[in-house]
Amino acid sequence: MNKIVAMAAKDIHILFRDKLGFFFTIFFPLMMAIFFGAMFAGLSRGPASIPIALVDADRTAGSARFVGRLEAAGGLAIERIPSDQALEQVRRGQTAVLVTLRPGFGAALDNPFVATPEVEMSVDPTQFAAAGMVRGVLLEAAGAELQAFMSDPSRMSVTNEQNRRLIEEFSPPSEARDDLLNVLDQIPRIPVLIDEAGLGSVTTGATGGFGPPLEIEQTQVQAQRRGPTNSYATSFAQAMLWTLIGGSVSFSMSIAIERSRGTLMRLLVAPITARQLLAAKGLACLGATLFTSSALITLGITVFDVTPTSYPLLALALLCGSICFCGIMMVLSVIGRTEQAAAGVGWGIALPFTMLGGGMVPLFLMPEWMQTLGNISPMKWTLMAYEGAIWRGFTLSEMLLPCAVLVAIGVLAFSIGATRLRWDTG
Amino acid sequence: MLVFDHVSKCFGDLRAVDDLSFELEAGEVFGLLGPNGAGKTTAINMAVGLLEPDEGVVRFADEAFDRDPRDAENRRSLGLAPQSIALYEQISGADNLRFFGRLHGLRGSDLEERVAACLDFADLVDVGKKVVSKYSGGMQRRLNLAVAIIHDPELVLLDEPTVGVDPQSRNAIFERVEQLRDGGKQVVYTTHYMEEAQRLCDRVAILDRGRLMALDTVPALITAHGGPGNLVVRTGDGESRHETTDPLATLAELQARQAVDHFQYLPPDLETVFLNLTGRALRD
Ligand SMILES: Nc1ncnc2c1ncn2[C@@H]1O[C@H](COP(=O)(O)OP(=O)(O)O)[C@@H](O)[C@H]1O
Ligand SMILES: [Mg+2]
Repeated sequence: MNKIVAMAAKDIHILFRDKLGFFFTIFFPLMMAIFFGAMFAGLSRGPASIPIALVDADRTAGSARFVGRLEAAGGLAIERIPSDQALEQVRRGQTAVLVTLRPGFGAALDNPFVATPEVEMSVDPTQFAAAGMVRGVLLEAAGAELQAFMSDPSRMSVTNEQNRRLIEEFSPPSEARDDLLNVLDQIPRIPVLIDEAGLGSVTTGATGGFGPPLEIEQTQVQAQRRGPTNSYATSFAQAMLWTLIGGSVSFSMSIAIERSRGTLMRLLVAPITARQLLAAKGLACLGATLFTSSALITLGITVFDVTPTSYPLLALALLCGSICFCGIMMVLSVIGRTEQAAAGVGWGIALPFTMLGGGMVPLFLMPEWMQTLGNISPMKWTLMAYEGAIWRGFTLSEMLLPCAVLVAIGVLAFSIGATRLRWDTG
Repeated sequence: MLVFDHVSKCFGDLRAVDDLSFELEAGEVFGLLGPNGAGKTTAINMAVGLLEPDEGVVRFADEAFDRDPRDAENRRSLGLAPQSIALYEQISGADNLRFFGRLHGLRGSDLEERVAACLDFADLVDVGKKVVSKYSGGMQRRLNLAVAIIHDPELVLLDEPTVGVDPQSRNAIFERVEQLRDGGKQVVYTTHYMEEAQRLCDRVAILDRGRLMALDTVPALITAHGGPGNLVVRTGDGESRHETTDPLATLAELQARQAVDHFQYLPPDLETVFLNLTGRALRD
């Protein structure tokens, strides 16, 4: 064991001595994390930047008030357009979401007892995430509208007068009709009665029980959960992935370098077994990638306000990600027998898999078949584990899938590499 | 003791080592002398278990034991300085020694003692903390040798330890080898420089194209295969060369005929031995 540790320590020592290697394993990912984090910082400060096109087919005071509410909510960048151009614009991909306020929208807002305001949403199929957030903002605005109505006795009285005339005109006199009219009379008094009964401080807002429907709240929670609160959370997860890739490529090169520099010959002549050599390489790779990925996320946490949802799960994800890539390192070093070949093979394989795994472009922007294909990419599972612990708020059982996949890939790749690796010196 | 028993090794059609037999004796410096491609490195690699012979066996044997070269116990008792420099250039000389010392199970104060001794042996005490990539060629050669003895092995195999080294560093390496022999080590020393074999080796095996041409002490080889020496004399008529096995008698004979102004005797050497054995010069 002492010998394995000595070999692993030597490898790590050499890795960090190599300035270029160090750059690629830590500083390069860190730069990317900061660059992309800053770039997307504006985008994820909330849904402020979701561009939507809006058609007001109702054109009443009520619909205008609703649009004002949407604008004030701050979640959307609203472009008002004539209805005839609208669909075309979505089709051409210029807007992700088209919202149409149907005729009668304003009337329904002003008389919630009789009608429901209707909204039509046309969504670009690649933009479901954005659509979810838009839906949330719409529901919230509608809820606020209802709340405002309910807490304004004078508006309710006006509506009541309309409804009373409607009832009296269309319904012949009966006991039911009288009861209905009585109830109508009482409705505007509800806020006043709540106050008089001394319940004003108990209920939230002037409406008492007449809050927005519960579903609206749920929609908001889901919408917030869809994305990280801090854009650095995503970019640091990706940077950690890059440091794993850099580390595994460096280590696969280190075996080739031992061969070309002749030190492999010395190792083979020393009283150690091939198995100890393998264990040392694996251990060194594990130690180095664990160190670099932990260093990166520590920086993210301390300097860039990234707040992991679970530290124990983060530790688990870090460990499993490193295990996976140390296995991959072994396979790479079998394929690339010289320094140049190892580097070429390493990056040549890493780049397409990283692309496929969402390490460059977020997965949800890719066509569905590519997202499915992404399942074969270890990078995807690594990101899932990292993000799960950093901002997706995974539970332990949700974390088990990506971690199990990572460990399985790592163990499998390591054993394939270990049995195929030829410890010859030529 | 290292024993080669009718050992052959082929690479494809090429017999790199062909039916090689020899047995090391205690406390000797054993030379493997031959031109490039003679099979010296292949023989060394079989001796340390990096290559397996196609025919014959390599053993470490005496009355007490009989081991395969790959035996762990064996590896502890042999040290190899490969032909090409094999060091970690990014770390210091001391760290190289320390690392290989740990691999051989040294630790703590024992390890530090050996590291210091080896730095001293290689005359690198002042630069021990410098990274190896900053060393001169000669310093790297000396460290390459020192790493081979970090674990104080009984048998040290030096594969062309003076290749690419300036004359001064070369002398330094000769002294190191003599120091090893005086310390009671067995040394296997390969070279294609006959002066080195002649100066350092107690016994020399002459290899050509994988075949063992002759094996004996240097004087015995010269007596057996060196043939006559050359007596070069200068007289009033100019310079002349005379082959002779008895230079004194020849000189007296020549002097009786004509006054000799100047003479020089060139005894046969390993170069002539090689020429006589193979029909070719050692250096081509
Ligand atoms: N791994 C190998 N594969 C093929 N041929 C080899 C290999 N190693 C050595 N040889 C050949 O075997 C012969 C002996 O080589 P070597 O033992 O290195 O000679 P020396 O060390 O005496 O210069 C040479 O012709 C060399 O080209
Ligand atoms: Mg050689």
